[in-house]
Amino acid sequence: MNSNLGEFEEIVLLLVAAQHGEAYGLSVTKSIEKELQRSVTMSSVHTALYRLEEKGLVSSEIGDSDGKRRGRRKRIFIITALGKKSLIAAREARNHIWDMIPKFVIEIAGI
Amino acid sequence: MMEREHDMLPPKLADRFFKWYCNKPLYESIHGDMQERYEEYLEEFGAKKANRKYWMDVVRFMNRHTLKRSKKSNTYNSNQLIMFSNYFKVGFRNLLKNRSFTLINVLGLSVSMAVCLVIILMINDQMSYDNFQVNKDKAYRFTHRLNSGVDLPFATVPLPLADQVEENFSGIDDMVRFRSGFSGELLEDGKTVSINGLFTEPSFFDLFSFKLDQGDPKTALTNPQSVVLRKDIAEKIFNGKNAIGQTLDLGKRGSYLVTGVLAEFPGKTHIQFEALASFSSISTLEKNGSLVSALSNWENATSSWVYFTLNEGVNKDNLYPLLDDIGKERYNEDSKFVANFSIQKMSDITPGPLYGNQIGSSMPTFFVYGLGILAMLIIVCAAFNYTNLSAARALTRTKEVGVRKVMGARRHQLTLQFIVESIIVSMLSLVVAIGLLQILIPAFEGLKMSALLNWNLEVTPIIYFQFFLFSIVVGLITGLFPALYMSSFKPIQAMKKIVSSNKLSRVSLRKALIVFQFVISLVLIVSSTLVYKQMTFMIEKDYGYVKENIINVQLQGQNFEILKTELEKLPFINHISGANNIPSRGQQSDIDVRISQPDEPINFNYYSVDDSYIDNLQLTLLAGSNFLPNHGKGKESSIIINETAAGSLGFSSPLDAIGQPLIIDDSTKVSVIGVIKDYNYAMLFMDIKPMMLRFKPSHFVYAQVNLSGFDITNEIQQIENVWKEFDPNHAFEAKTFQGEIDEFNNFFYDILYIIGLISFLSISIAAMGLLGIATYSIQIRLKEVSIRKVLGASTNGLMFLLSKGFMKLFTIAMVIGFSLAYVANNAWLNEFAYRVKFGVDIFLIAAGAMIIIGALTIGLQALKATTANPATNLRDD
Repeated sequence: MNSNLGEFEEIVLLLVAAQHGEAYGLSVTKSIEKELQRSVTMSSVHTALYRLEEKGLVSSEIGDSDGKRRGRRKRIFIITALGKKSLIAAREARNHIWDMIPKFVIEIAGI
Repeated sequence: MMEREHDMLPPKLADRFFKWYCNKPLYESIHGDMQERYEEYLEEFGAKKANRKYWMDVVRFMNRHTLKRSKKSNTYNSNQLIMFSNYFKVGFRNLLKNRSFTLINVLGLSVSMAVCLVIILMINDQMSYDNFQVNKDKAYRFTHRLNSGVDLPFATVPLPLADQVEENFSGIDDMVRFRSGFSGELLEDGKTVSINGLFTEPSFFDLFSFKLDQGDPKTALTNPQSVVLRKDIAEKIFNGKNAIGQTLDLGKRGSYLVTGVLAEFPGKTHIQFEALASFSSISTLEKNGSLVSALSNWENATSSWVYFTLNEGVNKDNLYPLLDDIGKERYNEDSKFVANFSIQKMSDITPGPLYGNQIGSSMPTFFVYGLGILAMLIIVCAAFNYTNLSAARALTRTKEVGVRKVMGARRHQLTLQFIVESIIVSMLSLVVAIGLLQILIPAFEGLKMSALLNWNLEVTPIIYFQFFLFSIVVGLITGLFPALYMSSFKPIQAMKKIVSSNKLSRVSLRKALIVFQFVISLVLIVSSTLVYKQMTFMIEKDYGYVKENIINVQLQGQNFEILKTELEKLPFINHISGANNIPSRGQQSDIDVRISQPDEPINFNYYSVDDSYIDNLQLTLLAGSNFLPNHGKGKESSIIINETAAGSLGFSSPLDAIGQPLIIDDSTKVSVIGVIKDYNYAMLFMDIKPMMLRFKPSHFVYAQVNLSGFDITNEIQQIENVWKEFDPNHAFEAKTFQGEIDEFNNFFYDILYIIGLISFLSISIAAMGLLGIATYSIQIRLKEVSIRKVLGASTNGLMFLLSKGFMKLFTIAMVIGFSLAYVANNAWLNEFAYRVKFGVDIFLIAAGAMIIIGALTIGLQALKATTANPATNLRDD
């Protein structure tokens, strides 16, 4: 498997998957701000996306402009099979270690 | 997301900046994102804050993903930068480690560089003429060539050419005529100031970029008898008073009203003048005879210049047919004066080809080329030495090269590293050289030649930049060969300190190099000694006449007879004679003499003298008699000739020449009344030609006063007092005869000076080179020396051993060097009519100097090697 995903990269990758087919720089940024209440710059999100693309976890294509951006087209990111695999692997790795934690250390309702 | 778009646009500058740095694939989508965001900013924060946030976005987006990349791969580029800083670091450390070597290198190089820097200054100066002129590329002037076989083109043309061209050719834009001859002395505030300038027209200010500080360029030169002064001259004459409106009285040339003061102009110009007088004054002056006719005179082509510019789109070549026609029309085929007119661009004047009758001083191009070549030669010499020295040091760097190669350095990287080192040395030398300049520049400016050529050897920032570039080039040249050599070491052998026996380590090459260095030094020492001897010889040689205790007083237009009577009242005067020129200063008049009309003329030099001349200068009469006092009155009838003249007239003995009738210049009939012994009336290196003395008081320019000489200062003072009463308007102008000749010889002193400088330079370079070679050769044998020492060799024995090889080479070099020096120096010495001979003393001086240099360089190195501790050298084994 490739090198491990950074935390931020993982989040971005998740959101790309969540927004499937519609994910682009600004949309991911706004999601992070909204859903996770984190302040984040567009440039760091973009950088993460490009790195993910370098690693082959997402692919991108230039989409049509939707009339809103004064004619400028968007670059849409889509998660690749490899990306899906690494997300699943990451999640499994997390879960595996979660399972190792005795109940009394971390009380979580519903688990 | 907002549906509608605001009318506000993000800050344009930010957009432009972003577009500039962002690479193409990502540009559009990122820009779009930022725009969208901007709309949201506008909604939430308002315009001002939105703009600010937009800017921050733009700046933040700069990272390695978005920035434009150059073609090469990223990693390679960033590596290069890092490596360069490493090279510099290592280079500096190396230089510091071998301080003595670095010192020798830097010193040797800096001396050569200093000379080259001066040459760069000179070339810059020469190229800077008329750079401030707006029309510098568009202005032309007419020139002419004679058909009489004289190959020199002339910068002057007859004045009427200007009008004729303007009438028959419609493409002329501005035209300016110049006439020489605005010169004279004027009386101002009780002192006489001499002034020298040109006549010219108002169009002068249209064509050239000279500005007036005071006065109106449109009218200043319109009226006759007006003059525009150069600013410094105006100040000199009027001492700070306002010059405009004042009158200058130039005696014969008339009075002139000052109508303008020329502003200082940046740089230099080839047109030399102290004042400009109005062209319209010329016609009056020609009428009253104070100026030779030129305005409509097609035969006068030595006192006027014509400059012009052409209209847009007109080609100067279109003028040539017209010029040809004018030439044919105005001059008969067989007249003495047949001119071919031509055109020269103003930018080609200086530096430019050699022309006669230039309007100011100018440097022929070959001089500039010569300087450039000289500079290159010096650098080549220095480079040669640097190479030798570096090769010597190469052995100490083998380990370093080996390690670097093992670590993965490519050959070109190593070459680059060593070149960087030599560039560092070159830069250091530049700093030292610039320091040396502080001494050199005043020395050069002190040369008499400098006044003549009006050098401006100032260093401007642009010139510093040129120096910088120059030192980089020097570093490259000097470092290339050693760099290539050192980078070629094979890693394994280098680690073992075995250097492959390629060209540089082969013994024969080393020997050849040593001999070469020796020969150069030898030739230089011999040559400079010879030059010195020749110069002093010429200066001290007996000219054949007496010049001690003779003062040459300039008559400045006064009557010789009256002055003579006045001066003879002084008790210490021996003789006084008059002459038109002073001998041995390179000025003598010449004229054609025939025996009878149909004969071929013989060209005679002549001096116009009186009957006391021969006694005064103590010339020797071989036959016949001296002038009688009445020979100078009335028509010229008698002349005295010299031996050579008698010979050239066909007489085997001087006595036979007495009474011979001759015709001077097709007009004057004279007969020979005396023959004098030859003496050097011309410059010493010229042969004595046929010469005659004529008795023509009207030609007198000087009174040659022979004093007793017991108290020269006092005697001159008394003569001056007599002069002051005699002619209070003119300053007393007199020089001692010896002084005049010395002054003239100063020119040669200058040459001596320069040659001495160059010799010193070259000898020091050669000595440095010798040091290098010696070190190199001895270093190779260090191990051998140590072993011998351990086995019990004596210091003396070792010294002899090491020097033995050099002695042999030394002898070979002496043989080659002396023969070479002999041949080379004979070549130029034979140009002189009187020359020194090669003597034993030259041989001794040269050999002695060589031995000293050899002892110092080789001997010291040998000493160092033999006294070194053997243990240190044998440690690694």
